[in-house]
Amino acid sequence: MRAYTFTQPRSVREALAHADAGAAFLAGGTTLVDLMKLDVMAPTRVVDINRLPLRGIKLDRDGLHIGALERMSDVAADRNVRRDYPMIAQALELSASAQLRNMASIGGNLLQRTRCGYFRDVTTGCNKREPGSGCPAMTGFNRTHAILGTSDACVATHPSDLAVALVALGTDVHLATAQGTRTVPLDTFYALPGSTPHVENVLRPGELVTGITVPRSMWAPHSVYLKIRDRQSYEFALASAAVAVEWRGRTINQARIAVGGVGTTPWRLPVVERALAGQLATADTFEAAVRTAADGARPLAHNAFKSALLRRTLVRAFTVLAQSR
Amino acid sequence: MTVSPLGRDIDRVDGRAKVTGAARYSADYPASDPTSKMAHAYLVTSTIARGSISAMDTAAAQNAPGVIGVYSPFNKLGLRPMPGIGENYAPLEDTQVRFRGQIIAMVVAESSRQARDAAGLITTTYDEQQPRTSLADEPRVPAAGPPGQPPPSATVLAPGVDSIEAALAASDVVVEATFHQPMQHAVAMEPHAVLAEWNSDRTQLTLYSGAQLPHLGAMAAAGRLGVPPTAVRLISPYVGGGFGSRVMPWYDAALAAAAARQLNRPVRLVLAREQVFTVVGHRSAIDQTIKLGASRDGVLNAVSHVTDASMPFVGYRHMQPAVDTSAVLYKTPNLSIDQRHVMLDVPPTCAMRAPTEAPGSFALETAMDELAIATGIDPVELRLRNYATAVPGTGLRWSSKHLDECYRVGARRFGWSARRAEPRSRVDGHWLVGMGMATAIYPGSRRPEPIQARVQLFDDDTAVVSSATADTGTGALTMLAITGAHELGIPLRRVTPELGDTALPPGAPSVASAGTSTTVPAVESAANAAIAELVTVAITSPRSPWHGANREDLTYEKGKLHGKGRSMSFGRLLTTVGRRNVEATVTAQPGPEATQYRYHSFGAHFCEVRVNRYTGEPRVTRFTTVVDIGRVVNAQATRSQIVGGVIFGIGHALLEDNPLELDTGRLAASNMADYMVPVNADIPDLDVHWLDRPDPVINNLGARGVGELGTVGSAAAVGNAIYNATGIRVRNLPITLDKLL
Ligand SMILES: Cc1cc2nc3c(=O)[nH]c(=O)nc-3n(C[C@H](O)[C@H](O)[C@H](O)COP(=O)(O)OP(=O)(O)OC[C@H]3O[C@@H](n4cnc5c(N)ncnc54)[C@H](O)[C@@H]3O)c2cc1C
Ligand code: SF4
Repeated sequence: MRAYTFTQPRSVREALAHADAGAAFLAGGTTLVDLMKLDVMAPTRVVDINRLPLRGIKLDRDGLHIGALERMSDVAADRNVRRDYPMIAQALELSASAQLRNMASIGGNLLQRTRCGYFRDVTTGCNKREPGSGCPAMTGFNRTHAILGTSDACVATHPSDLAVALVALGTDVHLATAQGTRTVPLDTFYALPGSTPHVENVLRPGELVTGITVPRSMWAPHSVYLKIRDRQSYEFALASAAVAVEWRGRTINQARIAVGGVGTTPWRLPVVERALAGQLATADTFEAAVRTAADGARPLAHNAFKSALLRRTLVRAFTVLAQSR
Repeated sequence: MTVSPLGRDIDRVDGRAKVTGAARYSADYPASDPTSKMAHAYLVTSTIARGSISAMDTAAAQNAPGVIGVYSPFNKLGLRPMPGIGENYAPLEDTQVRFRGQIIAMVVAESSRQARDAAGLITTTYDEQQPRTSLADEPRVPAAGPPGQPPPSATVLAPGVDSIEAALAASDVVVEATFHQPMQHAVAMEPHAVLAEWNSDRTQLTLYSGAQLPHLGAMAAAGRLGVPPTAVRLISPYVGGGFGSRVMPWYDAALAAAAARQLNRPVRLVLAREQVFTVVGHRSAIDQTIKLGASRDGVLNAVSHVTDASMPFVGYRHMQPAVDTSAVLYKTPNLSIDQRHVMLDVPPTCAMRAPTEAPGSFALETAMDELAIATGIDPVELRLRNYATAVPGTGLRWSSKHLDECYRVGARRFGWSARRAEPRSRVDGHWLVGMGMATAIYPGSRRPEPIQARVQLFDDDTAVVSSATADTGTGALTMLAITGAHELGIPLRRVTPELGDTALPPGAPSVASAGTSTTVPAVESAANAAIAELVTVAITSPRSPWHGANREDLTYEKGKLHGKGRSMSFGRLLTTVGRRNVEATVTAQPGPEATQYRYHSFGAHFCEVRVNRYTGEPRVTRFTTVVDIGRVVNAQATRSQIVGGVIFGIGHALLEDNPLELDTGRLAASNMADYMVPVNADIPDLDVHWLDRPDPVINNLGARGVGELGTVGSAAAVGNAIYNATGIRVRNLPITLDKLL
């Protein structure tokens, strides 16, 4: 860890004024401090945003508004979230551990960095950490890496479970800089690695996430987040599926689907959504709908199983949802 | 009336200290002299696997805030290798790089953070060579173990049989299978840590460092530092997990001590978690091939077990996975074992919990399951048909063996009769359900070397029982107290146990599950000797009511001397004669019975798994283990040991893997997120049961070992259950969902 300046502003304006090029915002610190200890992130200034009023979990006509500093555990426990957006609560509760969820914030969660082992080990190269230094994951151990949205420069997965659920539900992210505020759909917030894997999202230097809004919908209350991994807790997804369905009897009126653990960003599957729309919820429907889910996958030496796993995770999620209808 | 605590559910005597944080682990010790300011060390490790260091730039580190020393091959500490103890070289003494993650520098600073930050400023230039990393491709060499170990290859043939191949060829049914398991790590909760303190003229060193063998730790440090063994005291009352990773002294203690000597300050060194994966030993990666030849009704005619284990060029652990599994478990007229090494540029290995028995049993007990399938015989019945009453190829019998009872009791408790032999025949919702079983076997002998124990009786009717064994979390401290209380016939709370300090009489190594079976007889003798000493005081002290009596007039029972119509507690007697205490230290060693029998602990595992029909993840949902371990000293600790051992096996079966990158020699999962061990959610309530069968030979109490037994066979039981659930046989550990899709 390197020496850095530490500030604790009390207002958003003050925080934004401090946010110079080398600055990092500190929320729960469960990603930032971890990566600073590993020497992966070395901000020259740490701006502790915990005193900012970016709080609140409110449900109104437009939808669910969550302040960037709300803790994962508080959001997961919220009655409205559990009732109207069950997959959000599930995605949160299947993340990390209870201790981490008590510390970690919603804003920080969306901005957490990949768990690629090479990214986290400064004794190896990594294009994301150090542009141009290569991608050892390509030839090294890549069982947990992405099959969708990858490039020759980077094959790291986006690690957040919450982001997968939020992308499926059409969430907006609210951002602020000293120059003003803007709102961006989470779906277009994340960037594919391309030749610049160090650029992970559309955030401008010093831009602050102030909160999110998840719209109301007919499908959000009938949603499930299914996370597949080797051990039953305390592990990132090998594959995950966030599925929300608007039902008309036993027929799927429309579905919203995003998957995690397989893509370089939270991955929408519009083709599968379309294949389900208007269909009767049967095993045959599900099998047919997922046939193309992993199309375009670029498997590596150890993660080729993820194509099949992705399809099966989806079928299982559809089945679980249909059975709990 | 005092009821002996022996065999009952006894809470750890140090439980309160542990849960309140009062227990001090190595890195918790402050400098014993508050005026001498402690310095903090941090290691730098190599980022190549083979080659040499051509240059190292330490200038920035040296000038960094708080730095007081930077040691490297260019500023040596003068350590000496100790051949035969752990690694075969001393770090920082030459520029050679032998594996990735080898210690190549150490920074000492005023604070641990300053040391860590400065370490990050060191840049190293290497002359790199291609590391030898492939277990499959590098040459095989016979696994000649250290003197005293059984031979690495052995063949037993029935009269008239020419070779094991001939025996296999003549068998009705042959099962042949090859298994692979990756490198495994103990990942003990406490990272390796040491505080090294010299006295003012730097002639006496005190080390605070977790050790499974405190006396070996002190001896190795002395040798490496070039001081007499008597100059080093090692204090290690609490150890945050060993599992073999604290048997051999690694170089952390000697490095910290050498720096402390140079700087004339106490030095604390705590390994970073990723360093624990390479500075400390691991279990070799192992390939094994088993061939079983049997009659149509499942009676074994031939067993062949070939093993290839990775052996680091830097040394240490000789892997012999077949000796205590295939060579002893089943009756067979023809047997061949061949245990080989493959020399690699990898970090040192060590004797991780059930060092060779865990991998050996995974292979053998999986192959037995395959034989059960091939012959259509129930797996339990198959094992009973091949039950050994003497070690194959010798007439040697066991001191006590009730494995058959373990199978039967276990099958009943578990509900084995409900199993369907046909794979994929039980489905519950989204889950395929399967059952599997396997045998556990682990050597149960006392340690051959002499050890000591001391019993002191005090004038306040308390006793102190001392023997410098280690409590690695096993409950050895409680075992000492229980044994002392039992032998002296006094309440447990009046006994203070002591261990983990080389100033105490040298005790049993905390290895090979032999801590209890070795310590118990020593404490028994010491208690008897202390009582004899008490009698001497009683008959020779003028103020004693028994002054002048004959020894035979006195008897000791439950803390009191009785004789000539009167009774007196030992405390009263000592008070009466004006003595603070009596004590006796004895040396104990097994007698000729040690070689007249084989000693093993046995067990049977039964496992139920569920494998998701869609996504393939295997989950253990029920597990029953029944063991035959002789007399139980502490029921609670015994249960914990078996439960812990089984969890170890479940981890091996399903999760643990640290892949070695063949081109770089880098271990890809050297942290606790990627090197996965089971979490609570992965483990169901484990059903553990032991037979009440004291061993009639091993020691008077009849206690054999239990610590490692649960780890043997449990991985095979899980794998066999997965086969029963899915029809998929995975011979390449860990059995992860991608192999079951
Ligand atoms: C052992 C472990 C296991 C985990 N398992 C999972 C898991 O299974 N699933 C999962 O989804 N996550 C998991 N996580 C990740 C965890 O959810 C994130 O670390 C956490 O959500 C980050 O939130 P934080 O508030 O602590 O962020 P911080 O660490 O404070 O910040 C993270 C990043 O976001 C920036 N930042 C924070 N807040 C803002 C803001 N408001 N505006 C702009 N920038 C901001 C910081 O500068 C930093 O770069 C795990 C983490 C650990 C350590
Ligand atoms: S996959 Fe991406 S994060 Fe991982 S090493 Fe390659 S460039 Fe770095």
